Amino acid sequence: MTYVAPLPREAITDPEMRDLIAQSEVLGVPDDLFPRILARAPEQAKPFMRALLMSHAEGNVDHRLKEIIRIQLARFAGDKYFAALRSRKARELGLDEKRIDAGCSDYEDSDLFTEAEKCALRYADQMYLDPNKVDAAFYAELKKHFTEPQIMELGAFIAFHYGMQMFMRSLGAVAPSSPT
Amino acid sequence: MFSAADKLALRYSELMATDPDAIDAAFFDALRQHYSEEEIVELGVFIGFNLGYHTFFGTLKFYPLFSPDGRLLTQAESEKIYGATPGSLKPSEPAE
Repeated sequence: MTYVAPLPREAITDPEMRDLIAQSEVLGVPDDLFPRILARAPEQAKPFMRALLMSHAEGNVDHRLKEIIRIQLARFAGDKYFAALRSRKARELGLDEKRIDAGCSDYEDSDLFTEAEKCALRYADQMYLDPNKVDAAFYAELKKHFTEPQIMELGAFIAFHYGMQMFMRSLGAVAPSSPT
Repeated sequence: MFSAADKLALRYSELMATDPDAIDAAFFDALRQHYSEEEIVELGVFIGFNLGYHTFFGTLKFYPLFSPDGRLLTQAESEKIYGATPGSLKPSEPAE
């Protein structure tokens, strides 16, 4: 059990919040634990859920790449909850565990990734490990592969998901017991 | 300058960034003496959100927009006052 208990589903009556939970269950990320905890602060819950879903599943950067980055970050954050969740959309688009594991480890030497994908994985990898390396030269390299809107989409995605993963880690959240 | 409640909130922020394993059930019990469950969740997501974004903004070379006395600054003026490296990217002081 997390240090702050999630609200029971029946206690969440706001139609938009219920719809956001339904959307997240279709995607698989998050499951209902994260929104039921957020729902304790109803004014915060909806914008945070909208941002979490939109930044992950919408936009102009490949969802499969963002899914690998999300899991890479969760492992780095030590957040067992988000690290265990998987996007059904990404799975349906062909993302498998072998590629996820490669993206979270020795991606630089892997032939599974394009130079653009490696650059995006490095962006997330370095952001919290060694942010001084994410400098003007690094952004110049990113711009060879991505547009500026895509770079901002990636950066905001990385920042938001890492922040929510650290929040869930602080609550003592663990991996869901049932497969997602 | 800070109440016991303020100090606990600041401690939550500090620990989430630097030592999340130190946040345990007893820490949340202490938070509950000063904050409601709603306020704790609000505080936690706010801290997580800022933890994520400040480093990202630091890599973009965002500088404070205002001088210490509240005057609006250009980026160049801000760099002159606050230094060439955004605060979020400066290495932490080594622990005593």
